[in-house]
Amino acid sequence: MPLLMPVLLAGLLFCIGVYGVLARRNAILVLMSVELMLNAVNINLVAFDVWLRDELLAGQVFTLFVITIAAAEVGLGLAIVLLVFRNRATSSLDEMTELREDAA
Amino acid sequence: MSSTATVLAAATDTGTGEAVTFWVLGPLAVLAALGMLASKKAVHSALLLALTMLSLAVLYLAQDAPFLGVVQVVVYTGAVMMLFLFVLMLVGVDSADSLVETLRGQRVAAVLGAVGFGALLVFALGDAVVTNEGLDQANSEGNVEGLANLIFARYVFAFEVTSALLITAAIGAMVLAHRERHLPKITQRDLSVQRFRGGQYPAPLPSPGVYARHNAVDTPALLPDGTPADASVSRVLAARGDVRSIPEQASTTAIERAAPRREDDGS
Amino acid sequence: MNTGLTLAAEFETPSVEYRLLAPMLIVFGVAVAGVLLEAFMPRPFRHETQLGLAVAGLLAAFASVVMLAGDYSVAASGSVAVDGPALFLQGAILLMAIPGVLATAERKVDVGGVFAPAGSSTPGSPAERLLVAEKITQTEVFPLLMFAIGGMLLFPASNDLLTMFVALEVLSLPLYLLCGLARRRRLLSQEASLKYFLLGAYSSAFFLYGVALLYGYAGTVRLSGIAEAVSSEAGNETLLLTGTALLTVGLLFKVGAAPFHSWTPDVYQGAPTPITGFMAACTKVAAFGALLRVLYVGVGGLAWEWEPVIWGIAILTMGVGSVLALTQTDIKRMLAYSSIAHAGFILTGLVGTDAVGADGELLGVSSVLFYLVTYGFSTIGAFAVVTLVRDAAGEATHLSQWAGLARRSPVIAVVFTFFLAAFAGIPLTSGFTAKFAVFSAAWAGDARVLVIIGVIMSAVAAFFYFRVIVLMFFSAPAPDGPSVVVPSPLTTVAIAIGAAVTLLLGVFPTYVLELAGLASQFVR
Repeated sequence: MPLLMPVLLAGLLFCIGVYGVLARRNAILVLMSVELMLNAVNINLVAFDVWLRDELLAGQVFTLFVITIAAAEVGLGLAIVLLVFRNRATSSLDEMTELREDAA
Repeated sequence: MSSTATVLAAATDTGTGEAVTFWVLGPLAVLAALGMLASKKAVHSALLLALTMLSLAVLYLAQDAPFLGVVQVVVYTGAVMMLFLFVLMLVGVDSADSLVETLRGQRVAAVLGAVGFGALLVFALGDAVVTNEGLDQANSEGNVEGLANLIFARYVFAFEVTSALLITAAIGAMVLAHRERHLPKITQRDLSVQRFRGGQYPAPLPSPGVYARHNAVDTPALLPDGTPADASVSRVLAARGDVRSIPEQASTTAIERAAPRREDDGS
Repeated sequence: MNTGLTLAAEFETPSVEYRLLAPMLIVFGVAVAGVLLEAFMPRPFRHETQLGLAVAGLLAAFASVVMLAGDYSVAASGSVAVDGPALFLQGAILLMAIPGVLATAERKVDVGGVFAPAGSSTPGSPAERLLVAEKITQTEVFPLLMFAIGGMLLFPASNDLLTMFVALEVLSLPLYLLCGLARRRRLLSQEASLKYFLLGAYSSAFFLYGVALLYGYAGTVRLSGIAEAVSSEAGNETLLLTGTALLTVGLLFKVGAAPFHSWTPDVYQGAPTPITGFMAACTKVAAFGALLRVLYVGVGGLAWEWEPVIWGIAILTMGVGSVLALTQTDIKRMLAYSSIAHAGFILTGLVGTDAVGADGELLGVSSVLFYLVTYGFSTIGAFAVVTLVRDAAGEATHLSQWAGLARRSPVIAVVFTFFLAAFAGIPLTSGFTAKFAVFSAAWAGDARVLVIIGVIMSAVAAFFYFRVIVLMFFSAPAPDGPSVVVPSPLTTVAIAIGAAVTLLLGVFPTYVLELAGLASQFVR
């Protein structure tokens, strides 16, 4: 199988994730898009690992670290989202406008 | 574990098998990701993302990375996505998201960007081919053992530092969500003592409207001597001035009670 | 089962050089001890114990950095580099963290401290009023700060991209959290935390994609391995360039360079002010350290390719920071834009790759190291001063409230003026020597146009610092204006350290400049 295929798949998923972060307004969905981007990275790492016939399996180890760290990150991130939600009753980023450039 | 690895390796040794798996799962992953992007309901998005992650897990299995495939299922689909779903339920399942473009021409720019990036990759990688041969050698001691050798030797420091990250995440979630008790807990006994010591009406309050025209909440009940029982109406309604007055109440009830009886007589 | 046994015999126990890793191990150890203290220490003693432990840990870690000086090698199977830039920056981070932690621990200026009594309580709720009345504070911030500092120590020292990524996350996660815990203006603070988290996670995804492509290019994530692949011109150049670009995006985000700066003003404004100061100083030091290592060690062979890009980014960053700072009306936002402008000045020094000094030191590296030290101490001091100007609602951060501050408190006005003069680069402050160092490195590196633009931008930037100075000294104070609170020794010491270093490095910069010069060589 050509290396191009998984790498293209990763690129496509990464682009979808990038677009999702920019387009979605709900903080939780933005976070999900970031997760999609990380998954795309993982496909790349595994594909290169296989392609390089890396006897060290460095790509796979890296993927393992990415998965672990992403899980920790999501845990904290969702806690922050919930904290904001408890005080504002919304998780929409469009309503987070208290910090912005002054109109004046 | 190593036997599983060899079985899986044998199953996917042929390039064609792997290609078929890829061509089935790759488009599925992309479609699910696009669905995640497009669906209005947050829960649908979460489930579609879980589908993407599952197909990636199978892809890893097919690419001779069995441990990663399992971790992907357990950690990503099992833990992370379920956490997402839990939070979505807490925040409100119906939290819909508008898909209106916030920046004009966003989608066109996004498609152009993606195509450009894809073209770059095509140009970069040309016709490099993936085979599993070398990996069989790397996996010869078993995939898990191979990974363990690397994690606990070469990357042992990064591995240990990751634990700092996990501690941070745990403390963080606790700081943000845990409420420590700073007052003694109020027990059932304390509550009932409080209730009788307070000198208030200890029994349940009378329900509204029992002897009046309505059993609606805004009508006070009438005591046997015909006076209204103020305690039977919610204090909120009384404060708002929404309680029906008793004289008006008494007279209308009398007339209306009489009226249907007359109709009954006529028929 | 048999295979498992034989493998156990084959497995080589990794050699961990505890001595070389001591600074990081001490800081992480203190952090873990802090977590345990939270569990077992009675509440009334926690604050003082945590503070003492944290400061003692930072001093011990600094002592171990000093003992390692001159002893350069790689540690932990090559994943951590212990070399000049790493040790210099680790020392700088540890020394800056001391005033940072002291200012964070202040409890006199705002009764109960800068942090919410409990992260989970709702502002204004009965539960929170109870906590305030009982003077309960959140002491978990100390272990969290120590974890962040540990990550910062590892970030500029990591010799492979995996360790670098782990360090990036270790330093970021506690900061995301600490941003959201302000006692006053809690909604603002939580909003800052959410924005910082989402954008931080977004940028680390770019960083990772870059790592993946570089792995595909070189077949390894070691910086030395990537450097070898670059010099042998093996492998796929497109992967290399795309990977480097994406990796740099992730690092430039942490640095706060334009066009990846959009989080900086919001987060700096919303976060608790002492945390803002700590973040502005230490994160910048750590992130620039990592950027230096990636660009000089990893893809140093590509300098021809990345220099023009960094050129452009430096100009854009200086421009965005200096020009937008002019329009700000909030003092914390203004300092945030000023920090963006300073990132631009530091990037200017980075461009001088081929500038070599008289003793063979890399001027590009040494000038950046020196600039980071001077900027960090001035920033921590300046943000600590901001915490002192208050009215009934908390800190008075609107610029109009600072009018006539000199009449209310001449000392504070003079100290703040001194910090602003350092940011503007006035002679006899550290800012001047630092700007001189980076500009002369860039000049020696034949980036003369960049130097001229940099000088013009410093003039623009000086304008908005002087606007604040004029406002403080020559405007009439508003009748209901804010008052200046007399802080406890904690903040006083933090401000004094900041001011003393700013003065010393302005008047006698030679020693630290020489040290930075000696520390400018990387191990590979």
